[in-house]
Amino acid sequence: MSSPPAAPPRPRPVVNAWSRPFWDAAREQKLLLQRCGDCRAWIFYPRIACPRCGSDQLGWQPASGRGTIYSFTVVRSNAPSAFAPLLPYVVAVIRLEEGVQMLSNVVDCNPDKLRCDQPVEVVFRPLDDEFTLPCFRPQAGSGSQS
Amino acid sequence: MHPRRGRSAIVGIGEVPTGRFPERTAIEGALQAAQQAIADAGLRRSDIDYVMPTGTLFSFQFGNELATARLVEELGLPHVSSNCQVFSGGSSSTNALRVASALVETGRARCVLFVHTDKLGTGVTAQGGIDLFSTAGISAEWEVPFGQHYSTVAALATTRYQHETGCTDEELSAVCVSNRKWAELNPHAFFRTPLTIAEVMQSKMLSTPLRAKQSNMLFDGAGAFVVTAAERARDLVQRPAYVLGEGGAVTHFVYSQEPDLTRFGWAAAAREAFAEAGLAPADIDVAEIYDSYPIYQLIAFEELGLCGRGEAGGLFLRGETWPGGRIPCTTDGGMLSKGHIGAGGSVSLLIEAARQLMGKAGARQVPGARFAVETATGGTYFDAQVTILGTEIP
Repeated sequence: MSSPPAAPPRPRPVVNAWSRPFWDAAREQKLLLQRCGDCRAWIFYPRIACPRCGSDQLGWQPASGRGTIYSFTVVRSNAPSAFAPLLPYVVAVIRLEEGVQMLSNVVDCNPDKLRCDQPVEVVFRPLDDEFTLPCFRPQAGSGSQS
Repeated sequence: MHPRRGRSAIVGIGEVPTGRFPERTAIEGALQAAQQAIADAGLRRSDIDYVMPTGTLFSFQFGNELATARLVEELGLPHVSSNCQVFSGGSSSTNALRVASALVETGRARCVLFVHTDKLGTGVTAQGGIDLFSTAGISAEWEVPFGQHYSTVAALATTRYQHETGCTDEELSAVCVSNRKWAELNPHAFFRTPLTIAEVMQSKMLSTPLRAKQSNMLFDGAGAFVVTAAERARDLVQRPAYVLGEGGAVTHFVYSQEPDLTRFGWAAAAREAFAEAGLAPADIDVAEIYDSYPIYQLIAFEELGLCGRGEAGGLFLRGETWPGGRIPCTTDGGMLSKGHIGAGGSVSLLIEAARQLMGKAGARQVPGARFAVETATGGTYFDAQVTILGTEIP
């Protein structure tokens, strides 16, 4: 009997130059979002121009780090190879207070007690020396802490 | 009358069985399906002047060797002036039909041969399929690092849809049962044994609330169709499937950027298609709805206006979409039972829509079908494409 093959390393983000400030900030445990200097729209994911008004006057601002779970799923089986050792894990679409959406993992929680629209807050999880992923955990008092 | 309504038609269809065929190469499937489609249209090989294959997700050789010209040569088509690939993942069929229709309507082409082939059943392992579909169409910067793959993509829509509508796991599972009823009647389908709601609900949990038997399976398959101008179609075949209306909306690339995971762009796409066709949802006799997971069949059914919001699950549960039902749905068994063949998922549905209208659907023929709607979507459901076909032009 041969042992099952080792899982491949977790995939790292394939980064575009204009989103580098996001990842650099995440490594410092800060959540930065782009903001349009003309129409003031918050922007995620980072773009070369504002998706709302087309302006290229974009800057970076700290985000609140708070939001709600728009939707979520608890991955129980049949994950991509690199994620098999992490089972079970939670994939969720987070709606930030700033009005933008992002995919993330919900951590530090009881996955069976998560619900849509639950308040969450950002927490940072290092992937390797270069990358740290912004993840989310239930806000205190929202009912599904581990 | 809308200027594009009924100006082109599908006049010939071809398809090889969906399943595991290790000996059948991608090009062989493509050639068999293409030959069938040309013969089905009553055309000579010299009538085809434009060849339009899809891209392939897995059969890299078919893409890398630029099989557009290989098809021309292998089939011995002497008068082909042009060839190109049309590829938008699972919506390739509908988008190719739109391009082909424009070519024949403007006289740029007389007869367009569209072909899809791929080998997702035997060309790739089960885990390899999961891994392939954890990157195909999924953002390498914003989603792949978080473990997104197609089970989670479907599960995220399902969770939110159930939260907003109260749709039950039983209703979701009823979609799989409905499609299986049709697959039992389709010799080209892979899964043909009866399926119960209990079997679906007891199958392995993948990503909550999505279970194994609510997931499509990947197989080998190939299909083809021929498109020509309406005036030519009438002379060729007894019952052309006229292209009455087409509508579309591209609403995201990164899945988590989709503004509404319980609706997507179907309503706008359907409005455009029905307006072009001069029809209403109540006129539809058969609905061929993209069904890689049950949630998408429910959402499209509602957003197309075939029933109200939150009502689709009940229709599938009560058997109104089954053989003999009021609104037959996904009558070839779909990706959930016939099998998912990559970009060909909607090719199968478009061919089945034409087949029903041509009266060639055999044991699963919907009697007197005049108008059919077909839906298709690519990647992580980034676009909503709606096509309405008919045996007559309203």
